[in-house]
Amino acid sequence: MTNQRKRQAAASDSAAAVPFLRKHMLMIVGMVAGAVATLFITQTMFGGSVDKMTGTASWQNILLVNGLVGVCILLFVVELRRGAIRVLLTVIVALLLGFLVTFIFNLDEASRFERGEFRVQVISEAEPVDAAEDVDLRYNRARGGEFNKPNVVEPVSEVAWTFAGRSGDVVSLLAYAKNRRSPVDMLVELRDATGLALASATSASEVQVDETFDDLVSSKDAVIEGYTLPADAVYTLYARPEDISAATTYSEALNQSRLAFEALLLGPIERVNRWGVWIQDAITLILLGLSFAIVFRAQQFSLGAEGQLYFGALVSGIIALNSPNVPSVILIPFIILAASTAGFVYGLIPGALKAYLGANELVSTLMLNVIATRFFEMVLNFQLKPPTAGYVASEKFTPNAVLPVIVDKTQVTIAVFILVVVVFLAWLLIRRTPLGYEIRIIGSNLRFADYGGVNSRRTIMLVMAISGIVAGLAGMHLANGIHRQLILNISFALAFEGVVVALLARLNVLVVPFTGLLYAYLRAGAQFMERDANVSFEVVRMIQAIIILLITAEALVSFFQARQKRADIDEAGHALTQAEDSDV
Amino acid sequence: MFENVIDGIFSAVFLAAILRVTTPILLPSLGALISEKAGVLNIGLEGMMLSSAFTGVVVSAYSQDWFGAEVGTSVGPWLGLLLGVCVSLLLSFVLALFHLDLKGDLFLSGIALNIFGSSATVAIMFELTGDRGNTSTLASLQMPFIQLPEFINDIPLLGGFVFGVFDNQSVMTWLAFIAVFVVAFFLYRMPIGMHLRAVGENPEAAASVGINVKRIRYMALLISGFFAGLGGIHMSMGYLQLFQRDMTNGRGFIALVTPSLGGGTPIGTMVASSIFGFFDALGIRMGSLEIPSQLPQSIPYFATVLALVIYALQRRISQRVSEMRTASGAGFDAQFWQAIQRISILHMLLMMFAVIGVVTSGSILAAPNGFGGAEAALPAGLAIGAASIALIIMGLPFVSDIFRIQKRWRESAAVTVVSLGAYLSIFLSLFVELPIALGIGLVASAAVWFVIGGRALVGGK
Repeated sequence: MTNQRKRQAAASDSAAAVPFLRKHMLMIVGMVAGAVATLFITQTMFGGSVDKMTGTASWQNILLVNGLVGVCILLFVVELRRGAIRVLLTVIVALLLGFLVTFIFNLDEASRFERGEFRVQVISEAEPVDAAEDVDLRYNRARGGEFNKPNVVEPVSEVAWTFAGRSGDVVSLLAYAKNRRSPVDMLVELRDATGLALASATSASEVQVDETFDDLVSSKDAVIEGYTLPADAVYTLYARPEDISAATTYSEALNQSRLAFEALLLGPIERVNRWGVWIQDAITLILLGLSFAIVFRAQQFSLGAEGQLYFGALVSGIIALNSPNVPSVILIPFIILAASTAGFVYGLIPGALKAYLGANELVSTLMLNVIATRFFEMVLNFQLKPPTAGYVASEKFTPNAVLPVIVDKTQVTIAVFILVVVVFLAWLLIRRTPLGYEIRIIGSNLRFADYGGVNSRRTIMLVMAISGIVAGLAGMHLANGIHRQLILNISFALAFEGVVVALLARLNVLVVPFTGLLYAYLRAGAQFMERDANVSFEVVRMIQAIIILLITAEALVSFFQARQKRADIDEAGHALTQAEDSDV
Repeated sequence: MFENVIDGIFSAVFLAAILRVTTPILLPSLGALISEKAGVLNIGLEGMMLSSAFTGVVVSAYSQDWFGAEVGTSVGPWLGLLLGVCVSLLLSFVLALFHLDLKGDLFLSGIALNIFGSSATVAIMFELTGDRGNTSTLASLQMPFIQLPEFINDIPLLGGFVFGVFDNQSVMTWLAFIAVFVVAFFLYRMPIGMHLRAVGENPEAAASVGINVKRIRYMALLISGFFAGLGGIHMSMGYLQLFQRDMTNGRGFIALVTPSLGGGTPIGTMVASSIFGFFDALGIRMGSLEIPSQLPQSIPYFATVLALVIYALQRRISQRVSEMRTASGAGFDAQFWQAIQRISILHMLLMMFAVIGVVTSGSILAAPNGFGGAEAALPAGLAIGAASIALIIMGLPFVSDIFRIQKRWRESAAVTVVSLGAYLSIFLSLFVELPIALGIGLVASAAVWFVIGGRALVGGK
């Protein structure tokens, strides 16, 4: 502990001597983390067998993409340094809160034991009684129903059915679930004519389930075995679902939440097609995150990415639909160019409004988003939809207009390589060009930028348009890479998720790939959570909201840092006195 | 077909509809106004509206189980209102806490709350009803509607009209329009309202005279949450009788603009909200025309963008005029410059129509199938587009430059009269023959120009 602190102190004191080592430390930590992640993902995907891996189609490309994931982690560690820990902590805290929410939602999970189809039966070897009066049950004939059926005005919550019995008849009363799909947990009672309970039972023993009675399904069923009736009379068989104890409620909720979070956290890398969902989602999210990171860098809170995405998708879709015979080597670059241009132009509008008229970019971009969406819908509905189509979507694109797939059975396309180039260009723009310098200066202090001779109007307009380029590419990826046709709601409200990706990355374009992957992982996991564990997808969006709140709350950090510092000072003082002591 | 729409617009039913759709914009707008006055614009209005709308629906539906059908039906809506507003207040408290105490970014925390409101309502709805679209399976209730006494209908002349407009409006609508005056009283007649405005104008100065800035801002955010909650309740328990996923549909964002469009006053905010209400109601009514519904649906959003531009331009012009006033001192002809400013507003409004024309023609050209096929639609689209672009080119030089209006006032006058005349005569041609309409239109627009400010120019320098 003290050693580490000394090293840090030394690092800050003599800036020249140690950074070399420290830089390498970071690199090593990052590389190890990246390599471990790559190995872990690959290992989980193929169940640890090399044969299975080499047997899978295009496994080299899967390895390549996983390697890129590792590189993203390396960049994340190297770029954010200590901030990386904070990002991870935030995500973990948000996930824990999400777990709590899931747990609360699942508190009614145990109530399924009160629902389901059931059967009851009175088993006896004695002769059936020919009773004069009406009775509900006869010996050895099952009768059933369904307890607490959902969406019914008056659901059945208990049954009391009569049967006639003679003195000395040995009867067994059974109440059981109709089949294994019915989760109901039964309770059965034998009552005499006055309603007094003679016997009752809740859970059947294993012997009863396995051997004595064929009809029983599980130990949740209830049996009163071998009861000798005391008199000739009409008896009542009373059955209802067993009461649920608090312990059952909590353990069921916990169990279900655990299942849900297992699906969330491991689902996306279980199989190659699920992995594909993760990666293709991540590509869109990373593009959107880059778009936001660039524009937020200049302190412009433009949320126009969604509209730009729609325009990018629309333009690339129209080109794809109208050029069935152009070879894809020419068509794809052309589509990429056209989508970027569309995004650029649609970003230029709010940029110009903000820069030259001072119109609030937040409101104008939100409005332009809706306009773009409606325009997209209109063109799709009235122009691109084939007249015979039953639902609103364009025709499927011809193969020459679809981005070439690099991993079979998924929609992981050459967009991966496009993305690598875009990230590199974005880094180049922000860190290595005069325009990027101006963007950063405007972001940190607009007045200073003006004073320093930056043409801030032009830069603000340009930065919003440039972020539009990336968002337009995201639209192109959705249209030509994933859906391969134009559909309504093509963005699935992804744009706001891009905000989270950019924020988590602290607006650092080199970290965006990692946060995009992380967030896409959660989203993909949420899909499988919904499918496997019936927990709503929206829980993940709640987690997202919590992440934004926690990550922007600067004081939350300084609060902990202040405590840390106090502790440091105490410790340092202590160490100092010790050192003085030893000197003496 | 058009006649139906025109007839519809000038009817009591339409005005009543405007009031109804204005309410869910006006209530959060008042919230936005107060928060903006305190310098902490509440971006999270949308999420707060959604959560209160949802809470109201759920509470009112379950209150029938809790208290029995009889009592539940009468108490339910009010209990829903109470708890819905409480949830909204809670969210605004979270926003205030994260912004004011934990130093989070106001803007991003607001977005987080919006995401939270949108997702939490859907997630809980899914848990309760198994449906992720709306709560139609819940028997939720509505806030009471206020019936006017019958005798108003019998008052001659205006009685029937007034009755038609104000009868059977939700209690929330009344509440919203009364709240405008309460807010005005609060902001301008109460000490704490003055403190609030002082904090917004200059927090350091306010702090230096002993105002607790943080507390005032907490209060402002809570009040804005309160109004957002009321607006949400109206959405799900007045405007409709159920909760739909993301049913506020951007109203919380529109509410962020209306205060600035209304000049930062409660009355102005009310007028600006009503304009949005008008466009909203118009969009609904135009749904009966055989044009793609997306076009009228996007009118309010266009209007917002254009209004934002006009507001920004107008602010700049006002600034310039006041600079001139300071510079020239006693020799400053205030009336003359005010006239010019009014004319510049007229130029901008005309430009607004031209931009909408360009958009319409763009829509026609992009999707001719929606407008009766390529052959019929393309010439019309091209004509509208060409005319609009011509009007824009003519008007653009005058839009932001008041000195040009002053120097070349004849051109400016010609542009105004021609474009305003064109719009008026298109409108009038629905009722009378085209030549007559053209004549009336031109004369009327010349008169408008003269009354608004032209006489100062003609008589002046």
